[in-house]
Amino acid sequence: MAKAVSNTEKELAEHFFRNEYGKMVAVVAKYLGTAPIETAEDLVQDTLLAAVEHWQRHGIPDNPAGWLYTTVKNKTFNILKHEKYKHLLNEMMDSDESESVGFSDEEIADDQLRMMYACCHPGIGEEVQLTLILKILCGFSAAEIAAAFFTNTETINKRLVRGRKKLKIAELSLDSIKLTASTDVVLKSIYLLFNEGYSPSKKSRLVRTELSLEAIRLAKLVVFHPMMTHLADGHALLSLMYLNASRFEARINEENLVLEMEKVDRSKWNKDLIDLGLAHLENAQKGDKISGYLIMAGISAHHCIAPSLAETDWHEILKLYDAWLKLEDQPVIRLNRAVVLSKVFGTEPALVELLALKSQGKLKKNHLLYLTIGELYLHSGELDKAIVHYKTALEVCQNERDLTFLNKKLETAVLISKTQL
Amino acid sequence: MKEFMVLIRNEGNPVANLSPEQQQEHVQKVGAYIKRLMESGHMQAAQPLEMEGTMVTKKNGSFVDGPFNETKEVISGYYLLKANDLEEASSLIKEDPRFEDGDWRLEIRPIMNVEGIN
Repeated sequence: MAKAVSNTEKELAEHFFRNEYGKMVAVVAKYLGTAPIETAEDLVQDTLLAAVEHWQRHGIPDNPAGWLYTTVKNKTFNILKHEKYKHLLNEMMDSDESESVGFSDEEIADDQLRMMYACCHPGIGEEVQLTLILKILCGFSAAEIAAAFFTNTETINKRLVRGRKKLKIAELSLDSIKLTASTDVVLKSIYLLFNEGYSPSKKSRLVRTELSLEAIRLAKLVVFHPMMTHLADGHALLSLMYLNASRFEARINEENLVLEMEKVDRSKWNKDLIDLGLAHLENAQKGDKISGYLIMAGISAHHCIAPSLAETDWHEILKLYDAWLKLEDQPVIRLNRAVVLSKVFGTEPALVELLALKSQGKLKKNHLLYLTIGELYLHSGELDKAIVHYKTALEVCQNERDLTFLNKKLETAVLISKTQL
Repeated sequence: MKEFMVLIRNEGNPVANLSPEQQQEHVQKVGAYIKRLMESGHMQAAQPLEMEGTMVTKKNGSFVDGPFNETKEVISGYYLLKANDLEEASSLIKEDPRFEDGDWRLEIRPIMNVEGIN
C-alpha cells in the first residue's frame, strides 16, 4: 500500500527540473569521461523520469535536489560497473576521487563551467554552440529550442547531433580553461543567447524571455567562479544584460508591439535590475579594457538613469558611440549613432550620415535604416521623401511585427501629406 | 463503496517525450490530482511498476520464466480506487491530468466482491 501523501504542501522551485537537468548532466559527464555525452543525458533523463513516478504518488521530498543527486549517482555507478566503462571506475578508485564523489555546489559550478567551455569549443559553429548550451546546460528540449529560434525540431536535432560529436568535455580541466582564450567565445555565446531572448517576438514570448534569463544565469556562473579573478568583460556583459532586461517588460504594449521610446512608461522599469546593472558597470570599469559590452552597458545605463527622454544625456551617449566606432566600425553601430547624432546636432548631420550608409549599399536589407531615414525626413517636414523611405522599409522588412508598425508609420505620413495639400 | 483496480497502460513512456520543464509541470499536476483523491478517500493506493519483471507460465508441466513484455503496451502503474460505481470511477479517472501529456490508456476493473464471502 502506498503511504499517504504527506500533508505539508511542497512546491518545487521554478524551473527546478530544467536547472537540475543542466547541473546533473555537467557532473555526470565528468564521471563518464570520454563516453558520449548522450549517455550522461540519458542517465539524467532516467533520473527525472524516476522522480516523476515517485513524486507524483508520494509527494515532493523534503530535499528534492538531494533525492535527484542520490538517484543519479547510483545510476552513474551502475553504468561505470559495465564492462565498457570499467576502466573509468578503476581510474576513479585509483585517484581516490571516489571518496569525494558527490554533488557539492563547488563541484557543480566547476563542472558547469567546464561544460560551457566545451560547448563553446572554437571548432563548433555559433548556432550549434547555442543549441548545445540550451540543451545540455539549460535543459531545454529540442522542440523548445526550435520554438525559440523559429525553426523546426528536426533542424535543432541535426545541430545537436553535429555538436555532440564535437564536444570534448573530457579534455577540459579548469587549469586548461584558465589558459585558453575561449572566455571571449563563451561570453559572446551568452550575449547571443541574451539577444535571442531580448528581440521580442509574438511567438512564444515566454520561452524567449527565458533565454535572456538563462543567459544572465550562465554569465553569473562564469563571472562569479572563484577561478575568474575580476573578469571585466564578464561584469560589463552582466551589466549590459541587467540594464537591458530592466526595460524589457515596459517596452512592449498590450498588443505585444514594441513601443517607441517617447511612449515608454519609465515607472515600469525594474529598479532592482537597474541597480544590479549599475553595480556591475562599476566593477567593469575597474578593468583597463574597453570592450563593446562596456560601451553598450554605458549607453544602456544612460537611458536607464535619465528621468525622462528629454533629460537623456545625449552628449555622453554620443561620446560612447564614437568610442565604439573606434573599437569596431560597423554599419549598424553607425545607424544607431545617427539617431543620437540627431538628438545632439539635429536631423541634418544625421541624415548625411545615413544617406552615406545607404549610398554605400550598407544595410541594404535592414528596414531600420530606411525607417530611421523616413523618421528624420518626417521630422524635417519632407513628407514625400519620408513616404518613399517608409515604403522601402516595408519592402525589405521580414519581421511581421515590425511590418504592422511600419504600416502605421506610412499611413500617418500619407495622412499628414494629404491634409497639407 | 466499491473497489476498483485501475491499470495504467502505455506504449513507451509518454513522460519521456516531455521536456524537463514539462515534466515538472506533469509531476506537480498529477501529484496534486492523486493527493486530492487520497484526501477525499477515493484513492487507496497509487504505485508505479518497474519496467522489468518476468512472466511465469507453466507449459507442458514445467514452469517457464518468460519475457513479460511481449506486447508494445506495458502496465506502468496502478491506482486502487474507491467509488460508488463504475460510472463514478470512470469520471474520477477522466480527471487525471496525465491525459494532457501524451497517450495513456487507463483500464478500470471493479474488484470482484462476492457478498458474504469477502
